[in-house]
Amino acid sequence: MLLYEFEGKKLFKSCGIEIPNSQLIEPPDEEIKIKAPLVLKAQVLSGKRADSGGIVVVDDESKLKVSVLALLGSSVNGEKVEKILVEEMVEIDKEYYLSFSYSTENRGPVMSFGEGGTGAEGKEIKIYPVDILEGYKGENVSDSLKETAKKLWEVFIKYDCELAEINPLVVTKDGKIMALDAKVILDDDANFRREEKFPERNLFGRPPTEAEIEARKIDEGDHRGTSGSVYWDLDGDIAVIAAGGGGSVVCMDALIAYGGKPANYTEHSGNPPREKLKKLTEIVLAKQGLKGCWFVGGTANFTDIYETLMGFVEGLREVKFKGPIVIRRSGPNDKKAFDELKIIGEKEGFDFHIFGRETPMTATAKTIVDLAYGKEEK
Amino acid sequence: MAILVNDKTKVLVQGITGKEGSKVALQMKNYGTKVLAGVTPGKGGQEVHGVPVYNTIAEALDSHPGINTSLISVPNFAVFGAMQEAIAAQIPLINVFTEHVPIADTAKAIAMAKKAGVRIVGPSSMGIISPGIGKVGQIGGEDPRGVFSKGNVGVISKSGGMSSEVSWILTKNGIGQSTVIGIGGDILEGSTFTDMMEEFEKDEQTKSVVIFGEIGGTYEEEAAEMIKSGRFTKKVVAFISGLFAESLPQGTKLGHAGAIVYGDKGSYKSKINSLTEAGVTIAKTPDEIPDLLTM
Repeated sequence: MLLYEFEGKKLFKSCGIEIPNSQLIEPPDEEIKIKAPLVLKAQVLSGKRADSGGIVVVDDESKLKVSVLALLGSSVNGEKVEKILVEEMVEIDKEYYLSFSYSTENRGPVMSFGEGGTGAEGKEIKIYPVDILEGYKGENVSDSLKETAKKLWEVFIKYDCELAEINPLVVTKDGKIMALDAKVILDDDANFRREEKFPERNLFGRPPTEAEIEARKIDEGDHRGTSGSVYWDLDGDIAVIAAGGGGSVVCMDALIAYGGKPANYTEHSGNPPREKLKKLTEIVLAKQGLKGCWFVGGTANFTDIYETLMGFVEGLREVKFKGPIVIRRSGPNDKKAFDELKIIGEKEGFDFHIFGRETPMTATAKTIVDLAYGKEEK
Repeated sequence: MAILVNDKTKVLVQGITGKEGSKVALQMKNYGTKVLAGVTPGKGGQEVHGVPVYNTIAEALDSHPGINTSLISVPNFAVFGAMQEAIAAQIPLINVFTEHVPIADTAKAIAMAKKAGVRIVGPSSMGIISPGIGKVGQIGGEDPRGVFSKGNVGVISKSGGMSSEVSWILTKNGIGQSTVIGIGGDILEGSTFTDMMEEFEKDEQTKSVVIFGEIGGTYEEEAAEMIKSGRFTKKVVAFISGLFAESLPQGTKLGHAGAIVYGDKGSYKSKINSLTEAGVTIAKTPDEIPDLLTM
């Protein structure tokens, strides 16, 4: 999970990294205690805020009110500004880049350190592997920054971060070492041992949709397989229920390559029980204007194809979806599932097009595109 | 001869009394793999599908000194402890099935395994199968026989499902496999494409290799580098997925933690370019792989 600047700075502060005096404001009429000159910083997740009008310097108290009002109502890189971090102005002597992250090249943590220039582009950043068993002990940065770097390592490990970045890290004219910005990505897989909780993000520059919230609830407290914990609403008109973390993406690539417009991305994997698939199907097919539905997966290792497809059918019955439905699956109990689907399709009037393992998974992308859009339109 | 899993493979299952652990123990036995023991703290003395259960790896090794492979199938919060125990016991091959292992835990275990000179495959690994010989993990499910067949193509895949789908496509076209490995789709993995290619290079049975990669990280680029430098000389066909994911806002998480791109690093284009430069044939769909292998 990517944190907002103000959230990241809280973590920094808790480990003793100095940050400028600041105040987080939400309602525009909140009293601002920081005195001008100050900086208004839009709390959005996208980078390059400064280039998009998300950072506003206020020199004069008299302009404060109007600047706050303008920024709170605006949108930065498509993301609505709902919170502003008001910060005292700091006089900068030197600036640096400092971060800890994981590197696939070293298969472990690395420290990135850069100096010189202003902004990330101007700095020459060098990358140093860190021995995770020994921990970071202040190596490879200038002496004055050792303590801050050690504290940032503490943040990185203590809060199970994938990234803990200070850019810029500054030495002020009065000799203080301060983090002027914070970019922190938390490792969601470590949520079970992190006490600090953070609310859902607006990753797409919009709040999560009802469907996204509902879909993610399916797996909550039920560890039997996954179904819906990864779900994103998209702009298209072909509903997709795909299987497997790898296979689902292969299918989406194929669908788009054949000109299909997916209405959503979602996947199920492991061995989810049928009620989970039923719920997911209802959510996926609740959308208006759908032209088809694609239930697709490769050759499953242990996903029960009968159970998952019967869950799909139970969902279909609820929403009474009448568009074309292309199914391609392979794996345990697939034949039993297909036999029953054929009967259900005829009896209940579902427009099933069923394919087993003899038909390539990605070839059925073309089938659903042709059926959904009508061959001549393609 | 195949790699990693052969007729000398003797397996220990950590977490054997769990639902997945007991299921996978039975699957492996049914496929002819020797499953000598299981470990679940506090459940020593029980039996699961005829396999004796011990409280610790040390106890299991006392009674079964031949164990040379451990399969870890425990909840994510317990994986680090399980890996630590297996590394300390010097088990040469440790296969981690569990998904959602914190990245710091994986990083620590990789560092420890390197020091101890043992190999980790995973986390999030569907397993390893040498068709006709044996398997470790859930790969191929209850009956791998229809999907996997013995032959001389090695398969290395970040996705468990796609390792089976690719093997099925090969089998359907009369092409058998030497060993198929699901290396897992996390950011950090104990074994990557190059680690497996090193083994395949030495393996006489393997004549060519299929790589299933996806966006994120640098493991595909490292494979390209290995081929370019001449350290891998057999034919390679690769399929890379994830163009779709790149159309989403940066940082959007899909199913595989590793399939995430920040900046240009690990992008689809970077992978395709470096593999193509190294002379690797790129399959546009998985179904092209058999033709490209025999070309």
